Amino acid sequence: MSSPDPITQLRAAKPAASPELRERVRALAARTPEPRRRFFPTRLSLRRVVLVAAPAALALALGAAGVIGLTRSGEDERVVSPPLAAAEKGAPTTSLQSGEAATPDQAATLPPTTGRLQRYDAELRLRVEDLDALSAATQRAMRIARSLGGYVASAQYDAPETGPGSAMLVLRVPTIRVQSAIVQLSGLGTILGQRIGIEDLQGQADTLADQITALQGEIASLRRQLETPDLTDDARAQLELQLAQARRELAEMRAALEQTRTEGTLATVSVSLTTEQTARLQERGRLDRALDRALDALAWEASAALIALAIGGPLLILAVGVWKLAAVRRRRAEERLLDRSE
Amino acid sequence: MTIPSTRAQAAGAERPSFAGVAEAHLDDVHAYLVYLTRDRVLAEDLTADTFEKALRLWHRFDPRRASARTWLCQIARTTALDWFRAEERRRRREQATAREDLTDSVFGEGLSPGLESALRALTHAEREVIALRVLLDLDGDEAARVLGISPTNVSTRLSRALKKLEEKVGTHVLA
Repeated sequence: MSSPDPITQLRAAKPAASPELRERVRALAARTPEPRRRFFPTRLSLRRVVLVAAPAALALALGAAGVIGLTRSGEDERVVSPPLAAAEKGAPTTSLQSGEAATPDQAATLPPTTGRLQRYDAELRLRVEDLDALSAATQRAMRIARSLGGYVASAQYDAPETGPGSAMLVLRVPTIRVQSAIVQLSGLGTILGQRIGIEDLQGQADTLADQITALQGEIASLRRQLETPDLTDDARAQLELQLAQARRELAEMRAALEQTRTEGTLATVSVSLTTEQTARLQERGRLDRALDRALDALAWEASAALIALAIGGPLLILAVGVWKLAAVRRRRAEERLLDRSE
Repeated sequence: MTIPSTRAQAAGAERPSFAGVAEAHLDDVHAYLVYLTRDRVLAEDLTADTFEKALRLWHRFDPRRASARTWLCQIARTTALDWFRAEERRRRREQATAREDLTDSVFGEGLSPGLESALRALTHAEREVIALRVLLDLDGDEAARVLGISPTNVSTRLSRALKKLEEKVGTHVLA
């Protein structure tokens, strides 16, 4: 007859406590009163901690941000408009930020190259206080141009009854004096923007001069041919036609060279003046300011939390690792103890 | 009053009384300690110590975390380990000789000699897991909680222990 399987045997033969032991334990439970439960649970489950602590921490952070936002929302805030962008023209340019006081060093940073023809043009945007200052600055700009040997190419002036006033001047000043002009003009108001463009014209002038020289030679040759006594009528007519053509071309080239020299000799400085205040005082609602401050505070709290996590995170991981290692060592020690007791 | 024997039952039931828990699980704790110590007399003493300690810690028992039986087995194991440590220190001091011979039927009346012998040959870890999973019928999670190991480890140990038992019982029968 086969024995029942081990599991069945084990369960059937489960050792029972002796009657003496049973009485002993009953007496223990009956004699000693049960201790009272503590008011607070001695163990907090991780789940309970997370469910309570996380929302509480979040509420605290939001509350603190709100308090900060409300308490600091009374501060005034002035918003300054961004400076006007300097225009690009393909040539080296420079620009200044708005609101900066003009100084001679800041006003002119690209001097023309001496000994070469260059097209030099500059733009200045200036702000003046009011219409009186606008008028004075406009007149002063014209005098500056004339004092430097230049002239006013065009001028526009607008001083309405309401709203900002403006003036637009195009000045031509000798290129060799353009730096002085820019410095003096910059002092008429607050620089809002500046642009300088330089284009070399010397090559173009040299080419024109060479072409002029060649044409002059050609004209001289044609004239000598016309002085030949035995020219036929047709040949003479043809030569005269060519001579006239060459003379026309020579005149055009001389005019172009003159134009080029003029462009290289006189710089163009465009000056625009305005009384418009680009720094506007924006009165924002208190709620908007409070919200901004609160968001700033939240951002700061988030940064602080991230920093704390970055610093504390590795330490926490290390602590958990040490705790787990200690638990493993304790369990192994217990197993060795039980093995030794075999 | 019904004593909840599983954590699920305990989660829904009210907290039981200590007297009721002691009456319901006395045999379970005793059987576990018998298997752990292989000594009935020692197991009885440790059982009483276990319930004394359990009474002192009764206010910390949370039926939502573990059943009363699991909780008592954890205390029983700790009590046994404390005894073994003290015994080891005593032996080192007194250089005691070998322990008295075990009684013939330590693990319960009615076991075949082969099975008795096979149980004695198991390691303490194997006997523990058999006591908890087979005798006390704790599930894998509860047994893991008592032993302080993972449920996977519990399954592996139980499988190894039962295989050893079957091999040894089979060998004895053939002999």
